Amino acid sequence: MRTVRLISAGAAASALVLGLAACGDDGGGSEDGTTTIKLVAADYGDKASNASKVYWDDVVKRFEAKNEDIKVDVQVINWNDIDTKVKTMIQGGNVPDILQTGGYADKVADDLLYEADEVLSPKTKSNLIESFAKAGEVDGTQYGIPFVSSARLMFYNKEVLDKAGVDVPQTWDDVAAAAQKIKDEKAAEIPYALPLGPEEAQGESMIWELGNGGGYTDAEGNYTIDSEQNVETFEWLRENLVDPGLTYDNPATTDRKTAFADFAAGKVGMLNGHPTLIQMAKDGGVDYEVAPIPGKDGPLDSTLGVADWMMAFKDGGKQEEIKKFLDFAYAKENTLKFDEMYNLMPVTTDTLEEMQSNGKHKDLEPFFEVLPSAEFYPLGNTSWDVVSAEIKKSGGKAVSDDPGDVLGELQQKAEDTAADMGE
Amino acid sequence: MPVTVKEPAAGTGPGPGGRKTGPQRRRRGGIARLGPLPWIGPAVLLIVVVVLWPIYELIRTSFLNVSISGFVRGSAGTEKYRQLFDESGFGSVLTMTVVWTVAVVGVTMLVSLGLAQLFNKPFPGRTVTRWALIAPWAASVLMTAIGFRWMLDQTAGVLNTLMTDLGLIDGPKDWLGDPATAWPWMMFVAVFVSLPFTTYTLLAGLQTIPHEVYEAARIDGAGARQTYWRVTVPLLRPAFLVGFVINLINVFNSFPIIWGMTQGGPGSDTATTTVFMYQLKSTDIGESAAMSVVNFAMVVVLVLIFLKVSRWNKEDA
Amino acid sequence: MKVSAPSGTPGGPAGNKAGNAGGKGAAKRRRKYGPRTLVIAASAWMLAVIFIAPYLEMIITALRPADELRDRTYLPTSFEWKNLVDVWEESTLGDNLQVTLLIAGGATLLVLLVSLPAAYYTARVRYRGRKAFLLLVLVTQMFQPTALLIGLYRQFHQLEMLNSTWTLILANGAFNLAFAVWILTAYISSIPAELEEAAMVDGTGRFGALFRVTLPLAMPGVVTALIFTFIATWNEFVMGLTLMTEPEKQPLTVGINNFIGNYTVEWNYLFAASVVAILPVVVLFAFIERHVVSGLTAGSVK
Repeated sequence: MRTVRLISAGAAASALVLGLAACGDDGGGSEDGTTTIKLVAADYGDKASNASKVYWDDVVKRFEAKNEDIKVDVQVINWNDIDTKVKTMIQGGNVPDILQTGGYADKVADDLLYEADEVLSPKTKSNLIESFAKAGEVDGTQYGIPFVSSARLMFYNKEVLDKAGVDVPQTWDDVAAAAQKIKDEKAAEIPYALPLGPEEAQGESMIWELGNGGGYTDAEGNYTIDSEQNVETFEWLRENLVDPGLTYDNPATTDRKTAFADFAAGKVGMLNGHPTLIQMAKDGGVDYEVAPIPGKDGPLDSTLGVADWMMAFKDGGKQEEIKKFLDFAYAKENTLKFDEMYNLMPVTTDTLEEMQSNGKHKDLEPFFEVLPSAEFYPLGNTSWDVVSAEIKKSGGKAVSDDPGDVLGELQQKAEDTAADMGE
Repeated sequence: MPVTVKEPAAGTGPGPGGRKTGPQRRRRGGIARLGPLPWIGPAVLLIVVVVLWPIYELIRTSFLNVSISGFVRGSAGTEKYRQLFDESGFGSVLTMTVVWTVAVVGVTMLVSLGLAQLFNKPFPGRTVTRWALIAPWAASVLMTAIGFRWMLDQTAGVLNTLMTDLGLIDGPKDWLGDPATAWPWMMFVAVFVSLPFTTYTLLAGLQTIPHEVYEAARIDGAGARQTYWRVTVPLLRPAFLVGFVINLINVFNSFPIIWGMTQGGPGSDTATTTVFMYQLKSTDIGESAAMSVVNFAMVVVLVLIFLKVSRWNKEDA
Repeated sequence: MKVSAPSGTPGGPAGNKAGNAGGKGAAKRRRKYGPRTLVIAASAWMLAVIFIAPYLEMIITALRPADELRDRTYLPTSFEWKNLVDVWEESTLGDNLQVTLLIAGGATLLVLLVSLPAAYYTARVRYRGRKAFLLLVLVTQMFQPTALLIGLYRQFHQLEMLNSTWTLILANGAFNLAFAVWILTAYISSIPAELEEAAMVDGTGRFGALFRVTLPLAMPGVVTALIFTFIATWNEFVMGLTLMTEPEKQPLTVGINNFIGNYTVEWNYLFAASVVAILPVVVLFAFIERHVVSGLTAGSVK
């Protein structure tokens, strides 16, 4: 019967394919009366010993002990591959019941997901921090359930700044001047790390665009990728950081992980980072400090907020089981454990209060402060995933080629995609 | 030049025609009675299912609208092809694919000729050095590519360190970040991994040249260079052609080298058609399939040219 | 009737009239090496170092302590042998290795079973459609999985065979079939059919003759074809990446790619795993190096 629902999402042409695909997979009801739900989650670990598989296996073990009629099949996938693999699963009719990954809107477009109300108890739902819950909405209905959050601030290497004799920069011009000093004093190999490579060009770009009052969309959700402010932003970056050699030679191909590794090795003066970098910097013995992100005319009071999402697929029809599991997984003890394990930030009020008050997270305090005012990617646009992939691929070229052309082409693609999706 | 050399019996391609030990027309009972099906049936079946069917699927997908999650949303007509041809990088991707293929295959063939000559000579440690030559062949291409990416890392790459210490460059460079330097390095790696197979093919070719031919050439008073150009090169032609064709196909379709080193970036500035196809897969499956079909068409053209050149039709009629 | 396999002659199979030019024979003739030979040896040794160097650097990186990964040094201060152990214990590498072994072994067996009869028949009998078959094989040789990736993916998805080891066995087998048929056909046709006929006159049946006479003589060709398949499958990446989505079911090449993580690239682990993947093949290859030349001599030259 699942087939029928699936077909409604696509065109009749796909019926045969999906029909073939959907009847094969059946992890559902088995003879002994237990139901198996399939959980697919991203791996937040930075080494094998703290892989998220360990966390989920533990949650599942405790959940199954309480709910003997439900089995949870856990599959944890590397971030690099999770998008492709989930796509493969969906195409293959081997749809997970619960998915925890970076985005949800494309699945809404294909009408695959339960609404958040259908799979969360009122108690769990009201526990979600409001701004995050809001970011999970598509056209006013919440589908995406925030799972963890993160925010960006500027990290700097204190030793490097001291050696160069500069203060913590507050404006773009301060950044350029400080970077120039660092270069002149040979205080660090890379004065300012600007990772605009395919790994996270969309994030770094947005942080800089926010500094000039820009962003990816206007208030109505229409794309404004090639707005005047954005073009100006990249022109500034190019003229003041890239061309004078104050950052990597080729920001468009430099990934965030390279920048982080270099910072943790003491080779970078300043960069935008998220809380994961705290531990990396400590491990590397780097004396770091965080500060608000410099904007064009002064430090930003908002920042880029990022959430990763949980979503429930209606393909398997296991609404009740999913609800039980999600309520369990969103209990404070579990979310707290996960957030503490990876130094990530919470999305639920009780966990946030706990983390702010239990005194164990001094490091994260500056991040907690900017969380409520965080700005998000246009996640509710069903075209965002495609647009984001385009920005990842070629957005970085805006600091090497002509920014107007690069952003103009991205804007065109974004508009085309949005039109295709009927937005 | 009085030396006349008869070419080895067969021409090119796998068709072993015209040899006295080759296929015979008349067969007495036995296997012939059953007909070819039990013998070649499984091979044909495997090829049809795993090679021909995907070709059909591929072409079909290129005319479909497929959502990013993979759902078919109906027919797209030729829309995906139009989108593909409108991509700003498409023209340069095509050009660079040709440059990439020609350069890598050309250099590989030339260097392999030299290597085969070298390793065909007797010298102390020939066996061991030949083992070394095999390394890039035995190692996965992807891993070799990732290894080079690591060695070229701006911060910690040993090649950067080495070239700096040798005074070849002023300081560590981000070789793979800039298409102008990324291309030559990727071509270098592509040649590096293609050399072993090609060299071995040519070595095999060299060994089929009867020693008496060289003796004859020597007796006729031919110098070393003359012998090389008039004896070795013509006799090496079949092996050379085989190596050439296999390299052509491999290099044209090469994916792991570029994927492992630059992923085709920035944008698609270091992508060949194959890598471009893979990049498109993350934004539009239909368009990616259209790229594959174009790619496929180019391979078909290559095949046709090869058949023409190797006179497939005239042989083995 | 007993026919010994020509394993000792790298020049090729029995029917190969071509001598063995610069090979062992020549080496035996002049044991004293002149200055020219020394130059040759020196350049060959230098080349050998260049060919091995990237893999040495991988091994060095594999043994680097994590905090020295971004140091600009040729050698780490100490070798961290523990990396080699950690990489096994803390990843799916064991599963991946098993998958790779299964796939490479399976594809090799499949290729043997399918290509040998086809090659034998094609070499010995001039049947209707022989040319079409050879053309099909040639064309298959020209197509690579990368070019057909989306088609392959959609097909195996329709067959519900994604994430199945069989899928990779079939796919790798099919794409390596052409080369095997090609080499074996050429090799077998270079073995005089008279030998088989003589055996049959002696009272051995057609199959007996095939197995007792032709097969042993064709061994270098068979070994070459099989090794090629095995190595190509062992190193295959693109199909493994696309057709297998579950980490434990992926082959080694894809599994190793997983060390390129979200926040860091664990270069030391990545290369520790790579060494594991590369070493068996290099050793295998070194063993059969002699056969490779003789196999190629018959297979790809004619």
